[in-house]
Amino acid sequence: MGQQSRFLKIVALLGFVFLYAPIVSLVIFSFNESKLVTVWGGFSTKWYAELFRDPQILEAAWVSIKIALISATIAVVIGTVGSFVLIRFKKFRSKGLLSMMITAPLVMPEVIIGLSLLLLFVAMQGVIGWPGGRGMMTIIIAHSTFGAAYAAVVIQSRLVDMDLSIEEAAQDLGAKPVRVFFDVTLPVIAPALLSGWLLVFTLSLDDLVIASFVSGPGASTLPMVVFSKVRLGVSPDVNALATIIIGIVSLGIIAAALQISRSKKHGAER
Amino acid sequence: MTISQPSTSAKPWDTPDAVPFMQIKNITKKFGSVSAVENVSLDVYKGEIFCLLGGSGCGKSTLLRMLSGFEVPTSGQIIIDGEDQAGVAPYDRQTNMMFQSYALFPHMTVEKNIAYGLKRDGLPRREIATRVTEMLSLVQMDGFATRKPHQLSGGQRQRVALARSLVKKPKLLMLDEPLGALDKKLREETQFELIKIQESLGVTFVVVTHDQEEAMTLSSRIGVMNRGEIVQVGTPHEIYEFPRNRFVADFIGSVNLFEGRIKEDGENHVVIASPEAGTDIYVPYAVSGVEGQQIAIAVRPEKMEISKAPLDDMRNTVSGTVDEIAYMGNVSVYHVLLDSGKRVRVSQSNRTRSNEDAPTYGDRVNLGWAGRAGVVVTA
Repeated sequence: MGQQSRFLKIVALLGFVFLYAPIVSLVIFSFNESKLVTVWGGFSTKWYAELFRDPQILEAAWVSIKIALISATIAVVIGTVGSFVLIRFKKFRSKGLLSMMITAPLVMPEVIIGLSLLLLFVAMQGVIGWPGGRGMMTIIIAHSTFGAAYAAVVIQSRLVDMDLSIEEAAQDLGAKPVRVFFDVTLPVIAPALLSGWLLVFTLSLDDLVIASFVSGPGASTLPMVVFSKVRLGVSPDVNALATIIIGIVSLGIIAAALQISRSKKHGAER
Repeated sequence: MTISQPSTSAKPWDTPDAVPFMQIKNITKKFGSVSAVENVSLDVYKGEIFCLLGGSGCGKSTLLRMLSGFEVPTSGQIIIDGEDQAGVAPYDRQTNMMFQSYALFPHMTVEKNIAYGLKRDGLPRREIATRVTEMLSLVQMDGFATRKPHQLSGGQRQRVALARSLVKKPKLLMLDEPLGALDKKLREETQFELIKIQESLGVTFVVVTHDQEEAMTLSSRIGVMNRGEIVQVGTPHEIYEFPRNRFVADFIGSVNLFEGRIKEDGENHVVIASPEAGTDIYVPYAVSGVEGQQIAIAVRPEKMEISKAPLDDMRNTVSGTVDEIAYMGNVSVYHVLLDSGKRVRVSQSNRTRSNEDAPTYGDRVNLGWAGRAGVVVTA
């Protein structure tokens, strides 16, 4: 047994090294004194300071966060409505089609989503004059679209598990359907809404491909700025930026995971 | 098994001019082309505990859901306390329901769960608080007001659900398998408590259950359902001792059914030739039927005697060999294989701690029952 558990430990260790060594080295080198990315020149936080003096980066970060906040919210609303239609409505003819369409962005290559949305926006501008040019608005629409798919998956699984008789009980006690939704349904699925929101938020913050397709002048997201900077050569302040992003994203993911596990535990005990 | 209930001892259902509190008139519910409930009519009187008893899929839950307004009848009428319930939404009905899963709001405390219905009625806060406290003590849950449902045991949740459904003082309380999720011991205790609470509040209960023991203990009357229809309505005693047909006889308790034909149709007796029993069976009362008609006689296992010695004082006797014995402590159940190949169950209560004369495996035994112990079922 000792033999086997040692083997398992080694395999696990190798797995973690494989996954996290690049990230850890990136984090370490973000505190490098030296201007050379690969040579350790002592501990320093100067690249963080540098970062916060770079207006281009700060602006891009602000754009990214705004886009992520807005599109996560829109995506959760659309995802909730879609999930409700799919889970609660009686069978209707195009239900299978809708169910497929709503989850399609999950498996569709990002390049195709980006390209198709770009073509759509250009065509729409030509025909109805909206959206006028490409920028933050188009990125928000794009991110809401594919984010809604992720949100819908998370929310659907919660709705499926939800005991319908809870809603009936509320009705039986005198609550009208709208009241039931806000008093009972929403609080019960709230953990799923929150984890869906966090998921879409991080996805939006992450996205480079779709944003590159649908963005226009003056609306560069953080990943776009990083990507263009790296093409000119990796400078240490990008390491610092990446460290901050990793921090934010992992916080988001941990929070989402905690939410999901908490809501599962709740459901099981109900 | 039945507890006599003072509130229902008047037997309004036997009084011709008593006005039913709830009337179901020719209710039918179809899902597509399948009818879940087929032309059911039923009267329930004030203060009753009426049990709808039947197996799964017999339509009892659908009937209950129509009473609470969650399903709309395909045809027919439901009248509660003189008011036609057609078109009345669930949230406007003055009935309440206790759900099988209890359906407590998981994100609210016990207190808030119970107060929910009162808040919807817009009652003043102080009155809500008093009534919640009253209900909590009625179901013996004081001290649990601030707990969340997931912090309660199954029995405690059941109590909270009961309190929540009673707090609005409904005209009619519907209970869907109220004790189904509790273990046997707790179920027995809770049955009596439920009756006590019902008597103290005077609310009319309609209970849906598949558990015949629960129905027998709780109810003033039972409606046995099968395939969407009510096959018999009666007091637990009537249902058990005078089943109207084979289904009821078989569904309630266990029974030995001897199929046969009327051989002799006398003024105050019938003789039934039953090849299954291997003998003629004498019934000391008149039966509406003609000679040669297919008929069955139902005899409960506990109404039969089993003995290795001849049973000369019994009106009807059959004989066979003991095939199985199930010792259950208070009773022993014998499975006896008759010469015709028919298996018969006989139960004997174990009055003494050991009985040397008790039949054992492979013994040749005689079974006997008094003339009036059997019930003739024609349908």
